Amino acid sequence: MNYEETKSVVQEKFLSSERVTAFLCDAKVLHPEWVKKDRLLCIVEYGDEKAVFCLFTSSYPPKSFTDLSIEIVLPIDNTFKCEIDNKPSDPEAVLYLNLQSRNNKFKFEIQMTPRVDNFVDDLFRGIEAVSKVPTQPEFVWLKKYHGKDEDDIITQFSVIPRSGVAHAQNSAPVAIRESLIKRKMYDKELEYTFTKKFTVFCGTWNVNDKSPVIPLEGWLSVDREPPDIYAVGFQELDLSKETFLFDQTFREDEWYNAVINYVDRRAKYVKLEKVRLVGMLLIVLIKQKYISHVRNVVCDTVGTGIMGKMGNKGGVSIRFDLHNTSMCFVNSHLAAHVEEYERRNQDFRDICNRTRFLQPNQQAKAIKDHDQIYWIGDLNYRITDLDPNTVKQLIKDNNFEKILEWDQLKQQHKNNNVFAGYTEGPITFKPTYKYDPGTDNWDSSEKNRAPAWCDRIFWKGEAISQLAYRSHPALNISDHKPVSATFSSSIKVIDEEKYRKVYEDVIKQLDKLENELIPQVKVDLTEIDFGTVKYLELQVRTITIKNIGKLPVEFEFIKKLDETSFCKEWLIVEPYKKCICADESCEIQLKVLINKTSACKINAGTDKLYDILVLHLYGGKDIFITVTGTYQRSCFGCSIEVLVNLNKPIKDVPVGKLIELENKRDQCVSNQSTYSIPKEIWFLVDHIYLHGLKEPNLFEQPGLHSEVLQIRDWLDSGSVDPIPGSIHSVAEALLLLLESTADPIIPYNLQSICLKASANYLQCKQIVMELPEFRKNVFLYLCEFLQEALQHSAENGLDAKTLSTLFGEIFLRDNPNQIQEPQSRINKQVIDKKKAQFVHHFLVNDHSDLIFTR
Amino acid sequence: MAKKTYDLLFKLLLIGDSGVGKTCILFRFSDNHFTTTFISTIGIDFKIKTVELRGKKIKLQIWDTAGQERFHTITTSYYRGAMGIMLVYDITNEKTFDDIVKWLRNIDEHANEDVEKMILGNKCDMEEKRVVSKDRGEAIAREHGIRFMETSAKANINIDRAFSELAEAILDKTAGRDADADHARIAVERRPSRAPPARACCS
Repeated sequence: MNYEETKSVVQEKFLSSERVTAFLCDAKVLHPEWVKKDRLLCIVEYGDEKAVFCLFTSSYPPKSFTDLSIEIVLPIDNTFKCEIDNKPSDPEAVLYLNLQSRNNKFKFEIQMTPRVDNFVDDLFRGIEAVSKVPTQPEFVWLKKYHGKDEDDIITQFSVIPRSGVAHAQNSAPVAIRESLIKRKMYDKELEYTFTKKFTVFCGTWNVNDKSPVIPLEGWLSVDREPPDIYAVGFQELDLSKETFLFDQTFREDEWYNAVINYVDRRAKYVKLEKVRLVGMLLIVLIKQKYISHVRNVVCDTVGTGIMGKMGNKGGVSIRFDLHNTSMCFVNSHLAAHVEEYERRNQDFRDICNRTRFLQPNQQAKAIKDHDQIYWIGDLNYRITDLDPNTVKQLIKDNNFEKILEWDQLKQQHKNNNVFAGYTEGPITFKPTYKYDPGTDNWDSSEKNRAPAWCDRIFWKGEAISQLAYRSHPALNISDHKPVSATFSSSIKVIDEEKYRKVYEDVIKQLDKLENELIPQVKVDLTEIDFGTVKYLELQVRTITIKNIGKLPVEFEFIKKLDETSFCKEWLIVEPYKKCICADESCEIQLKVLINKTSACKINAGTDKLYDILVLHLYGGKDIFITVTGTYQRSCFGCSIEVLVNLNKPIKDVPVGKLIELENKRDQCVSNQSTYSIPKEIWFLVDHIYLHGLKEPNLFEQPGLHSEVLQIRDWLDSGSVDPIPGSIHSVAEALLLLLESTADPIIPYNLQSICLKASANYLQCKQIVMELPEFRKNVFLYLCEFLQEALQHSAENGLDAKTLSTLFGEIFLRDNPNQIQEPQSRINKQVIDKKKAQFVHHFLVNDHSDLIFTR
Repeated sequence: MAKKTYDLLFKLLLIGDSGVGKTCILFRFSDNHFTTTFISTIGIDFKIKTVELRGKKIKLQIWDTAGQERFHTITTSYYRGAMGIMLVYDITNEKTFDDIVKWLRNIDEHANEDVEKMILGNKCDMEEKRVVSKDRGEAIAREHGIRFMETSAKANINIDRAFSELAEAILDKTAGRDADADHARIAVERRPSRAPPARACCS
């Protein structure tokens, strides 16, 4: 096994997109706990990223990628270091390679071979490339070679086989599917829900730093029927510095208990949530019987006070799902002072933008992402451009409409500067600010403020109708009066049975969609019969793959398990990999060519013209394509020992008999054989001898391929007609025949001896004497013939040197399966010269003594 | 309604002689559709279908294989990774029943050791052409300790039931492991390592 073959085995260990750029055999890892030997080091490239792998091989050299296991993975990143030392005791022959990546350090012992230079060069190229890239590579592709624990780099990991079940559709996009289902169910909500009316009570009160010293039922329990939901908000619960700085107050509990005490006693309520930021408190209660239909209760707070952050102003919110309706309640205290309405608008926007309800495994929700929103609070908008006394007079006259024309909030709302999309009910109550605490008198301080509707309630969402919007002036402990509103709101309730059905339909639809998106192709032929296939005669068939799916499809002919190539060596598939767009087709050519290698195997019965190709669609199915044909046996690709035993044309010999002869060729002996040399060789040589010895450029001018094929048929069928074709075609056929024999005329194992002896004729003669009998016959017969040809060099232009070079290559054929270092050009020239020299002796010397020893 | 859900992916495989109705069973199950025209499966194909078992959404990826003899060597390489295998014969065809033993041997050799198996005697709507009695089907299943059911893709008999039972058996096996581990098990298909352990004691 040579370098290239070993390399291809190593490459097999990786995916095709991961290219092995260099590797070293015979490495040892120096680690106190490990067996040292039988390691391979390789550099693998994936895109711009490279990594060094250390592989353990169970057989040396590795015969298959299953012999290899990945032991160490060192990504070449900016932490990668490489130091090279010589082994002190043996500096010429052994190197130490110290590799470090991230926190892993390894030392390897390397045999000094010319390959080491390549490897080290490639390594440094990788390091250099990394230093030039501004962003660090991620090495995502390496993850599969690591164990569960990233740091545990010692893993026995084999690459996922590229064919088959294991490969397809593993990474089902579960997350995408989940959100698709959600989306579809949302779209079909009407099909599985019905609505049910709930009453919602919203109350807001700026309590101006007071404790709940009065009963609250006049505010919280005034409706004919007890509401289903309470949302009660307070502002200025506690104006102390401590509360502002440390956000702690005992008032929270005081007011919470007060609310609990004074909600409608006719129903039983439970707390859903309460949330406070400094002086802003929001409490949401629900009738106990509905609590089981509430989910995903989340709250958030946003400060918009000092520096736009502190909690003296801002908003607190609670969201939840009741049945299938999402609800959100916001209690806010916006910026104060008459002229600051722009600031108040900004506070509203900030609360909207900054409130985020975080739920596990879900995208955070904003206020706007709810079916129903109720916004309460001291919004602090005032009456402008009206003299306080005028305002008070208009109030006395109950002419609220006139004053409301000058209400900042009405103005800003109308212009969509604030509460866009929200609704506020008609105001039929007196302004709620500013009173002298404990009275119903307007603020009597020097400021003489104009009264204002600071405390308001807005809503947004479908199917909400306001039943009441009022203030409660009797509760007079603060400088604000409490405000409340009740709503009749439609809540979507799920019909479990219908939901199931819709849900199943959605799943079915998605399955259908997914099935439709699986790549689909139509192949016009899955069984290809090449009919009679002849030696060296190319045959082509075309199949068409049509993409009948909805998406582009990528196909590839993939290897079957435990095979090294996706098709037999006598078959060529072009293209073997391609992408086809929807509704387009791709033609694939299948070419069969039986050359000497495959002919030998077929003749010996170790291969046949039958193969099943696996056409794999990425993310989809595999299609099996069967390729068959009948090989017409030929003398080409047979052993000399078989040919001498055939007393009739090969076409008339049963296939089974041929296979039997091929397998017994080692036992072939002269006294049982029909001929001393194959008759086919004799026919060709004799023809040239009789008709072509004087032919100019004999053996140098190529013949015609078509004539060579005719000569092949003539030899195989034992025709009585004269040999077809020109002398040059006959000469070429002879060379091809000699080159195609299963074993070379001089056996592979004698080749190196021949090369060593090439300068010495006597030694060469000795070797030829010891050749297997029939090969010796052929060798000497051909040499005799070539000597004869040289007699006519004046006409045919041949010389001994040319002929010995040509036939040296044929007689001393290189073993294609032998492990050898790839020959350098110079080395190859030396060997070729020696081969020629060996043959040359027999073209210029009289060796008739050898012939007569028989 | 956002139920807490996660998907499990189960890979199932349909095997059995050519013409027993593997593809029809798959079509009936996935598309609720049946066609009488016979087109031999030349390769490996799959469809998905999501089922709900014990409140869990389970995605079944069902692989349909070519039954023809000449493809047997190749199709066995697809057994690995399958968590459940449906072994199908035709109750109107004696040979397909006799071959069950061969298919079982194939499973032993090529599939994961803990694969769930089920034998299906298909075409049970064709009572007048029956040659394999239900008792014989039950007997062979009992002998090998495997579930058994007679089905008809044409008349839609027991098709859904067969798949849910097989999926449930796999679910029973995977219960106790958490969902993440299951996903990991699917995503990483390790080959049985033939190499000796890398960490070995050095003398």
